[in-house]
Amino acid sequence: MSFCVCSLSVQAVEVITHPSVKVNSLTTSQLRRIYSMRQIKWENGTPIVVFVLPSEFKQHQDFCKQTLKIFPYQLDLIWNKLTFSGLGVAPTIVNTSTELLLAVKSTPGAIGYIENVTKEEEINVITITK
Amino acid sequence: MLSLLPNNKRKRPLLQICLVGSFGYLSMCALAEDAPNTGLNIHGFISQGVIAVDGSDFVSDENNISPELTELGINASYQLSNTLRVAGQAAYLNGGNRFNEGIRIDYLLLNWSVFNNQNWSTNIYLGRFKNFHWLYSSTRDVPMARPSIILPQSVYFDATRDMSVGGDGIAIKTTYSSESFGDLDINLSSGQSPTSREQTRIIMGRFSDGDLTHDNDFQGSFYYSPSYSNWRFGIATTDADFTYQAGENDSFVEGSLALTRYYANAEYQGEAWTLSAEILQEKIALNDVMYTGFYQKSVGQGGYVQSQYRLNGQLQILTRYEHYWANKNDKNGSKLEANSAGTIPHYFGYQRDFTVGLSLDISSHLKLQIEQHWIKGTARLTPVVIPDPTVNKSEYWQISTLQMTYWF
Repeated sequence: MSFCVCSLSVQAVEVITHPSVKVNSLTTSQLRRIYSMRQIKWENGTPIVVFVLPSEFKQHQDFCKQTLKIFPYQLDLIWNKLTFSGLGVAPTIVNTSTELLLAVKSTPGAIGYIENVTKEEEINVITITK
Repeated sequence: MLSLLPNNKRKRPLLQICLVGSFGYLSMCALAEDAPNTGLNIHGFISQGVIAVDGSDFVSDENNISPELTELGINASYQLSNTLRVAGQAAYLNGGNRFNEGIRIDYLLLNWSVFNNQNWSTNIYLGRFKNFHWLYSSTRDVPMARPSIILPQSVYFDATRDMSVGGDGIAIKTTYSSESFGDLDINLSSGQSPTSREQTRIIMGRFSDGDLTHDNDFQGSFYYSPSYSNWRFGIATTDADFTYQAGENDSFVEGSLALTRYYANAEYQGEAWTLSAEILQEKIALNDVMYTGFYQKSVGQGGYVQSQYRLNGQLQILTRYEHYWANKNDKNGSKLEANSAGTIPHYFGYQRDFTVGLSLDISSHLKLQIEQHWIKGTARLTPVVIPDPTVNKSEYWQISTLQMTYWF
């Protein structure tokens, strides 16, 4: 339940990637394309591996509304459509923030989000611009 | 319906229980073995409901409460390389008279990601693919990915489900996104759909003993969502030809059927409200089939407006109004009744449906849906080619239904 404590903090959700991803900033619109699985490769051709927390988690909902500017149910609809029509692959769901951080750290091309990011040397923090 | 049906129906509850049980076991195994980042993804859904229809043969010829509302699916997707992926889904459906009961390969395709960058993506799908041209066509059998248990019959006509659910052939999807322009999707597909004997019987009626073959079709759609907008707009078209091969003891003769459909839709997705509308016009041309030299062309029109209101994170209310006319030049069905010398009542010329529904997310993977339809008219009941007023005697009829769905 550590994420509940974090949610009391004023710190916003930060977007993180595997250190091999040489991208420093993304616009909200670019990030939305990645999370709606429209863009599935980074500029250098590396596949993007998207990690998320379960939809009912407050941290996921805050990320959707505040960072992506999209409602969580909209992403669920897009991902269900991809998964059950064969058109594509939905993001990988992990159950805790710690798991998400570990998954992003250990998967080349990975992207995720976390609250209260510390000075992690093994992680790339992305600046989101409008 | 077929004389064999009563025997089959007796076996169905047992078959459903076995399928549901086996599926539950398989899904547990799949859940346990599904590891991230292996390139393999396994998902599925399992759904059972009850449906009561008062006044029509929509689900069964007898007006009683029926468990013929089962939908199961299991799918796998495996990433072969950076650009190639294989995916397939097997499904079991039982909807009574609505469509052919049984197990089927829903899709089985090779996905080639031809091009993908920050703005553009192009994917080619080879094999059996789902129809992804209308708002809910690619997930019409997936209960948690559609707005209601029974979809609006004007667009998602269950009798022609097999032909419109997808095809064997090639599909191409290109997307474009930019900061200022928004999102554009361009979808094209061409393929054939296997049509079962039972589906042929559902369309043609019990005096048919032949086979309806879906020849190659063409479908296309465009979707556009302005940048940072809650709105999305789409147009689509279908051009499909069918051949009818008469059987030995057939009331029909060889012939063909040409179907051309045009669609337009709009959807607004707000925090509490989702508003959707979809309209269509369809031209059906029948050559021979009834007798050699017969020709009939009719243009039908229909559509619906729908609202979904999220009361909170779990509960959602649906309301929808739908109207369909089988012939736009005979909206009250009077010509239909006159041309059949009174044997086909005028109410087979139209169908309107007012629907209310409740959807409760019990957990993030468990949903309960309840809905009620009040319907006037029988234009979207089966059989289609020659309506059956001996079974569908009521102009007014209702559907009450409830469905529980689990997915992973």
